[in-house]
Amino acid sequence: MNINLKIAVAEVSSIVRSGVEVQMKRLSGFRFQIMEIARSEFVHEVIRTHKPDILIINPSMITGFTLQQLKEECGCPVMKCIALLYNLVDRSVLFPFDEKMNIYETNDEIRQKLERLYADEIQGVTENEEQQILSAREKEIVVCVVKGMTNRAIADRLFLSAHTVITHRRNIARKLQIHSASGLTVYAIVNKLIELKDVGKL
Amino acid sequence: MYKKGLYRETDKMSDLICDNYPMVLVMCRFGIGLGFGDKTIGEICRQNDVDICTFLAVVNFLIEGKNTLVEEYAGQHLSVEALIIYLHNAHDYFLKFRLPHLRIKLVESINDCPEDVAFIITKFFDEYTEEVDKHMRYEEKTVFPYVRGLLKGKKDAKYNISIFRKRHDQIEMKIVELKNLLLKYYPGKGSHSLNSVLFDLFATEQDLFTHNLIEDNLFTPAILALEKQI
Repeated sequence: MNINLKIAVAEVSSIVRSGVEVQMKRLSGFRFQIMEIARSEFVHEVIRTHKPDILIINPSMITGFTLQQLKEECGCPVMKCIALLYNLVDRSVLFPFDEKMNIYETNDEIRQKLERLYADEIQGVTENEEQQILSAREKEIVVCVVKGMTNRAIADRLFLSAHTVITHRRNIARKLQIHSASGLTVYAIVNKLIELKDVGKL
Repeated sequence: MYKKGLYRETDKMSDLICDNYPMVLVMCRFGIGLGFGDKTIGEICRQNDVDICTFLAVVNFLIEGKNTLVEEYAGQHLSVEALIIYLHNAHDYFLKFRLPHLRIKLVESINDCPEDVAFIITKFFDEYTEEVDKHMRYEEKTVFPYVRGLLKGKKDAKYNISIFRKRHDQIEMKIVELKNLLLKYYPGKGSHSLNSVLFDLFATEQDLFTHNLIEDNLFTPAILALEKQI
């Protein structure tokens, strides 16, 4: 299982920032892309440009704005916010956060918190891994795509709605991690789903 | 100015390269050759007429990778001319050397698998090369001339760098696909030469990815700043 997450760490101390980063990278099951924010005035800019999934922020860096405003102004309404704590903080300050993380926390505790925040995604990924093999229907659709048929034509041929065809194609792309038609062609030839002479547009 | 970067102009070039061998490509793209003895980065840049600040910005950006404090580079005074030379040489490297070479190696190492499979894999590779070519040609034919105009103080009423920023997409996705196809479904026997191709695919993917990062995080902001000045 591997979940990709973009994380922004906003903290003034470079030692603490780096510590958080090292700790995060030790968590198995997650793949992190981490960006650092060292000063309060850059929080907006970095969030706006990089749109992280999670913001781990020292509450003392939230000055002159609220988390709600930050999310709205930067176009990241679903960004999860975690308070990074190593000082005493008034409880009301912590209210808007999705989660808290103090610097004495163990690896397992951090993992459990992330797993709680991303329970749905984790379930999705696990289900994905259980079924990477294409169904018979999906194989039929791969063959049609490789022949160069449009979604409409595929729908007519297999007596499906165009909408269902699109859903199938999305599932195929997800299962195989192949997103282009030419990639599917390689897949279909290698797995003998189709012969070279039947491939459209060569 | 470079305090937070890992390397400064007083560091030896040989230390930089030995610690981070992919930087040999960066050096070459700035027009610096091998055989630099024990000279420092600053000395070598001056000798080769390369803007030191820009060289260090690229090097430190690549070394620190995604963990870089983005904000630090935004304020730096980068030489746009030097960046264009760097990017142009990188394009040449991919299109005239890396991809053609990779193709030769690929074709050679899959020749024992069924003919139709070899054909379709080669075709996939060719389509990919075509995509990279199109992507980079746009930058060469449209973006760079526009920027060169800006440097001369000419603004283009119909173009600005935000157009580039919006349409600039990833180009390494398809190479990831090829890599996955070979890893998961390759029907022939594995071989040393195919493994070597895989290594090259991994390296090229990384190289293209960081190339785009430089365009998005160093080049584009520098042009945005330039546009504001004029």
